[in-house]
Amino acid sequence: MTARTLPSPFPLALCLLLGAVVVSLAWTALPVERGLLFNLQTLFSPVISSPDVAVLYYSWWPRLSISLLAGAGLGLAGVLMQQVLRNPLAAPTTLGVASGANLALIAATLFAPALLVSGREWVALAGGALTMGLVFMLAWSRGLAPMVVVLAGLVVNLFAGALAMTLLLFNQETLKGVLIWGAGSLTQSGWSDVAYLWPRLAISAALAWLLLRPLAVMDLDESNARSLGVSVRQLRLAGLGLAVFLTGCVVSVVGIIGFIGLAAPNIARMAGARRLGPRMFWSVILGALLLTTTDLMLQQFASSPSTLLPTGAMTAALGAPLLLWLIPRLKLSGNSPGVPAQGLVHRHARPGRLARTLSIMLLAAAVLAIFIGQTSQGWHWTAQWSVLEWRLPRLLAAAGSGILLAIAGTIIQRISGNPMASPELLGISGGSAIALMAVIFLLPAPGNLALVSAGTLGALGALGVLVLLNRRSGYVPERLLLTGVAITALFDAVRSVVLSGGDPRGQQVIAWLSGSTYYVDLQGGLLIAVLAVVMAVATRPLARWLDILPLGPATASSLGIGLNRSRLFLLMLIAVLTACATLVIGPLSFVGLLAPHLARLLGFGRAREHLFGAALIGALLMILADWVGRQALFPQEIPAGLVASLIGGSYFMWSMRRR
Amino acid sequence: MLFKYLSAPLTTAVLGLSLILVAVPVRAEPSSAPAPRIATLDWTIAETLMGLGIAPQAVAQIAAYHEWVGQPELPVKVIDLGLRTQPNLELLAELQPDVILISPMFSNIAPRLSRIAEVETLELYTPGSNTWQQMIQLTLDTATLAGNPQAGQHLVERTEAAMVGCREQLPSETEPLLIIQFMDARHVRVFGENGLYHAVLDQLGLDNAWTGETNSWGFSLVGLEDLLGIDGQLVVVEPSPLGVEKTLADNGLWQALPDVRDDSVLSLPPVWSFGALPSALRFADALTSALAAKHDR
Repeated sequence: MTARTLPSPFPLALCLLLGAVVVSLAWTALPVERGLLFNLQTLFSPVISSPDVAVLYYSWWPRLSISLLAGAGLGLAGVLMQQVLRNPLAAPTTLGVASGANLALIAATLFAPALLVSGREWVALAGGALTMGLVFMLAWSRGLAPMVVVLAGLVVNLFAGALAMTLLLFNQETLKGVLIWGAGSLTQSGWSDVAYLWPRLAISAALAWLLLRPLAVMDLDESNARSLGVSVRQLRLAGLGLAVFLTGCVVSVVGIIGFIGLAAPNIARMAGARRLGPRMFWSVILGALLLTTTDLMLQQFASSPSTLLPTGAMTAALGAPLLLWLIPRLKLSGNSPGVPAQGLVHRHARPGRLARTLSIMLLAAAVLAIFIGQTSQGWHWTAQWSVLEWRLPRLLAAAGSGILLAIAGTIIQRISGNPMASPELLGISGGSAIALMAVIFLLPAPGNLALVSAGTLGALGALGVLVLLNRRSGYVPERLLLTGVAITALFDAVRSVVLSGGDPRGQQVIAWLSGSTYYVDLQGGLLIAVLAVVMAVATRPLARWLDILPLGPATASSLGIGLNRSRLFLLMLIAVLTACATLVIGPLSFVGLLAPHLARLLGFGRAREHLFGAALIGALLMILADWVGRQALFPQEIPAGLVASLIGGSYFMWSMRRR
Repeated sequence: MLFKYLSAPLTTAVLGLSLILVAVPVRAEPSSAPAPRIATLDWTIAETLMGLGIAPQAVAQIAAYHEWVGQPELPVKVIDLGLRTQPNLELLAELQPDVILISPMFSNIAPRLSRIAEVETLELYTPGSNTWQQMIQLTLDTATLAGNPQAGQHLVERTEAAMVGCREQLPSETEPLLIIQFMDARHVRVFGENGLYHAVLDQLGLDNAWTGETNSWGFSLVGLEDLLGIDGQLVVVEPSPLGVEKTLADNGLWQALPDVRDDSVLSLPPVWSFGALPSALRFADALTSALAAKHDR
């Protein structure tokens, strides 16, 4: 499949255009009437005679400089990651660097505030380096193979994110400063950040230039590259290491800036920069210009908001539609199923026995969760309805949503052949979450009916976008995922903006986003459990599709499966399953990602067994997560979604390391 | 240095008296009906209850209440309900309170709470309403729900008297005030219309230098650059995040602020910025002391 390709001078034209926008925006922001000389003087030899000059010299010019530098740094980091991992979805934020830095800052603020005095950028850099180190460690035994690194990055990302969210849930007041940082504000009040960033970027750029030739060889096959005498593993390590350092430096100074690292290299490639050299060059320029344009526009058009609009979150918000526009035009590696996740698959000899064991465990967990718990007097075994009436709905909701997400996850992972795929990543959870946040913030006192209707509408909206954008291309899995990434980016952006403002209602948003069964009543619990069982039965006839679709489109067509029709149907199914679960337990329960994986790791190979096994594991995981979350910090409750991703993530990392 | 607490707070007879009056719980009139057991999720309501001299049975996130609201302290016997947004329902059901007091922020769980006990929603900081009047209404309503309407009346009268006392202590010519709280080294909350501090300034006859927009909680999150060019006395409400003070020394923009150059920034001890009458009184007292001390210097 060939995408529309544009002529090669196009990157230059694009950059000139963006550059012109930057210059004109900057010109309108400066006090033009006082002449060019005056304005340049405010940059080079300021006489701080009035507040305007102080603002220009200490805030406006440093902000312009830092946005150019940060954008360039992220663009470069993005190119390096995408080149090394050969995956257009790889970006600084997808590989755990940003979330690691975020977690480190949160933890330092709460447990070792003295560290922040000696310099928060060092704390952030250390956190980013640690999580990336963990990713390398997990992927090391398989020679840092691209898919494995991406997968490890994703898991570490989710894990760090869940930990951070838990800390945030209990310490929102203390962490309000970190929330602003997490949303990526480019506000400057002196030249110290610029002075910190530019030498580091200069050194990184020089190193990247040295790596250019060996990295370009990686465009070839892995075996070819090896035969040319390039040590693939060391090269990957060097490339990724440099990208992490770059991201760490940028992130530690200005906070998390979404989208630039992902978009700049993709736009450069799409604009016709094919070879690594030009791609790197144009990505750096594009990154700088994209971020600066966004920032200047924000300053221009949102000049006196009652809430600060952080640029990092806004790049993601403005970038999401751009990414959606790009997707049909993006040249992807055709319909190839990508690098198979080697070593992750083995088949259990007797899946039936395995399923029986899991069922017994599920039953035991249910008994535990409903009869045992803490009261103000300590641990108790209770069978009184006055207590059970609070526990039963949560048990049902946990199990039901676990099953729904597990099935959705299994389907999407099988049809896309992509281990990064999960219902959360398709953006349906994100869509419904955006709508919910809007309701919480726009209505004075939203009731549950308003919340549920808004969530459903949001999920349908996201689904509409998915269908609209992918109908023509025939629902190619990679494209579908990319659409999901864009919607999820939008969701992240909205969330960051909402939380960074410091509005006390943010607590409610955090509580809901962390995926809790708290809000479910008995009716809702029963409904979701029945729905889950019905769905589990209804998907069994689809197993044939799911066995054949991963074999590739040619095989599938020759076996008489209408590709578009079957994919559309499965997509709708995933959307409904995800929306149902999201409405109950929020968008962040990573069960949809973990349950299908764990089922495969345990040895459920064929589609039918895989679906069933994943459903059992999803239910088990969620029931345990809900119970542990209610008991661990009694009377405070950790939402089930967070606990699930902590439990699941730990197991996942452990088993990745072991194999 | 910029951030030292005013070591010698000005305590006048009026101020001292009013504080003592507020600090000492009022004895409820002996009545035949036992005092209702009250659970609340909202710190502002908890603060008001304590100001009324009525200890609630249970409050959400007690440790964080003590960290952020601080005064008045909750007695040790008050039971922690867990998170404010997700109070532990099993525990709440076990405690069987007579009434659960919430603010509109928690109205989405009101149907569930109402299966345990009667739920009353008390409003504060409703956009477009008079904050001070609403605080008084909240105090009176809380006292009535707690079965002691006189305590509410007392608290309101004492607070209003204390406000008059503060007002008399103020220097005659006071610049408009620019009240901020640091979020990190580059961002501050600046407090204006519709907030606690603004309501107190109104009571004290002082002007707020921040006339810009604010959100429904009475503050706006801005960068330091937005503070330049605003004429007014800079007032920093503690706590500042750790490390911020150190970075401010090299912060060009901060150092360019006139009050910083003259070393005349006022620093106030922490006060819960979304509180009701007890917080308002503490803020008024701290502000009056700081302004009077600066005037005498």
